[in-house]
Amino acid sequence: MSSRVKTLIGFGIVALVLGFAPNLQETLELPRFYLIFLFTIFFWISQASSWNILTGYSGYFSFGQGAFFGVGVYTVGVLVVKQGWSFITALPMAGIFAGLTGLLLGLVVFRVRRLTGEIFALTTLAIAFVLASVARLSPTIDGGTGIFTTGVPIPEFLGEFNIAVYRLTLVIALLTVLAAYLIYDSRIGWGLFSIRDDEPVAEGLGVPTFRFKMIALGTNAFFAGLMGGVWALQLGFVTIDDVFNIRVPLFVILMSVLGGMQHWMGPVVGAVIITTLTDRLNSAGLADVNQIIIGAMLVVLALAVREGVYVRMRRRWLATAVTFFGVLALVRLLGINESLISDFAYAMVATVLVMLLPDRIWESFGGAVRPKPAVAEVPEPDDLTRTG
Amino acid sequence: MELLAQGIVSGILVGGLYALMSIGISLSWGALKIINLAHFAFILLSAYVVYQLAVTFEVDPLLMILVVVPLFFVLGVVVQIFFHLVKIDEFKSLIVSFGLFIIFQSVMQTIWSADFRRIGPELNPYETQSFFIGNIAFPLPQLAAFITALLIAGGMWLIFTRTYFGKAVRAVAQDPEMARAFGVDSRRVAVILSGLSTAFSALAGVFIAVGQTMFPELAIAWFGIVFPIVILGGLGNSLGTLTAGVIIGVAAGVSSVLWGPLSAPLVTFLILLAALLFRPDGLLTKRSVA
Repeated sequence: MSSRVKTLIGFGIVALVLGFAPNLQETLELPRFYLIFLFTIFFWISQASSWNILTGYSGYFSFGQGAFFGVGVYTVGVLVVKQGWSFITALPMAGIFAGLTGLLLGLVVFRVRRLTGEIFALTTLAIAFVLASVARLSPTIDGGTGIFTTGVPIPEFLGEFNIAVYRLTLVIALLTVLAAYLIYDSRIGWGLFSIRDDEPVAEGLGVPTFRFKMIALGTNAFFAGLMGGVWALQLGFVTIDDVFNIRVPLFVILMSVLGGMQHWMGPVVGAVIITTLTDRLNSAGLADVNQIIIGAMLVVLALAVREGVYVRMRRRWLATAVTFFGVLALVRLLGINESLISDFAYAMVATVLVMLLPDRIWESFGGAVRPKPAVAEVPEPDDLTRTG
Repeated sequence: MELLAQGIVSGILVGGLYALMSIGISLSWGALKIINLAHFAFILLSAYVVYQLAVTFEVDPLLMILVVVPLFFVLGVVVQIFFHLVKIDEFKSLIVSFGLFIIFQSVMQTIWSADFRRIGPELNPYETQSFFIGNIAFPLPQLAAFITALLIAGGMWLIFTRTYFGKAVRAVAQDPEMARAFGVDSRRVAVILSGLSTAFSALAGVFIAVGQTMFPELAIAWFGIVFPIVILGGLGNSLGTLTAGVIIGVAAGVSSVLWGPLSAPLVTFLILLAALLFRPDGLLTKRSVA
């Protein structure tokens, strides 16, 4: 069985299990909160994974996630509440409009040959402010008053509100991760990686860099907007300041840096860990400190981990499994926490910390850790002798 | 017509303040290859410090220049030493300084809350004063900021073109390795330059404390204005930054008069896109100073 078939079967199993989770929650009479917690995770998985398709694969750093997300939120808000569309027809439009915004941006910035990645990054940061000011100016979009989305009718077959949001976010998250995987495992993916490594060389070797970058940016924006469309319901009251702020780009960057930007699973792992942690911090009444911790984590992780936690977890799967389930069983048995989510948070933090241990410490444990280089390293010739 | 003339004058003066806010970021990016997003937080932090000192000790806020400028010079030095220790590159500097920005901004939000803050008129006589030429007003805080920006931009230009330190900075900007081979202490140059650019940001903060109301979200809002100025002016080019500041200021001022104040970010962004398409190296520069 090829690895792609295996992965797709894995997708199917995860989809089935998570798809029936609401029924399980009802039969076991677990708190409704678990459902909300899960769809918050789905939301961030989709945001982080779609961001990583552009930034992780192609190396073009984007702060534009908030802008694409915001376009999606406002598309649903305006079309459903102000224009009277049904939610189910407006939702695809959220993705399409966001995707078009991305492509339009790409058409300008990717055409400028000398535009460096850094300038691309800052342009994407500026775009959220522009969209916010357009939304504020235009009474057909917002006009500064905000939009109530609480009364929006949802199709009956999706079930009651929380279950409907759960199902929609689950489907979109699965589609996003699937898209991230399929691109990763295709010619486009290889093309994007070559752009990340050295764009001029890639172009010289015949990689259609412009087209691949546009595909990555369009996919990123499409899924960010689609999920934004669902989130318009969850927000209840859509305001410019809540939508076009720095939160979404900040979190997707942190999640992907933590999980790892080189692999399609990295952002998924990062999203699960960060969402769990922030949820626990908030419920512990540390919402004020939360943002400071997030900023500090971003600084430390950006400097300390090059390949992210996920790649390390795969390499040291045994240590990961032992730490995670060991700590989970320990805190469960000790009964420190009321909530199951807190137990998971402890286990995740422990695992991440173990994974962040430097290689030197791992080597002292023995066993096959890091293959020794097959050829003895040749010392670099001195720069001066070479030029002289 | 008079309204338009007033819009242009206000635009020029505000452009001076914008330029003052941008010079530090531009220098650090152009000469040190560090995109320091934390500068936005530094500007606001300086404004809050001036506010706090002025209100607590009941002193003239402009006198606080003597306090915050040396203080922030030291802060800039410390930040640069940190960047050296972790061996930062241009790309990483984006993520790391974004994290620093978030930390500083959250700390400010915790200390000063999300409320609007301004120095009361009894301590701050400058805010309401203006010079008049005909019917056109020149508000004093903005005029002072503009003159300061002019002095700093001109001063940096003189330093870059006329002194050994300036030569050393240009050498480091072009090729740090080669500069070191020729005996330039590139670390010391970088540390001083980082201190200077942070001090300039602190100066901008003083004028913001004197001239307007402060709230934590302000630091994010500046971004849409400062970044186009940095690009339009050319990285590391202080005179270009001043020119770009005035252009953006006038464009924003005129568009506010014609289409309302909310149109300013849109106009600014269109100028940015035009700049990226047609003059990606900056407006004035044949080749950037750095």
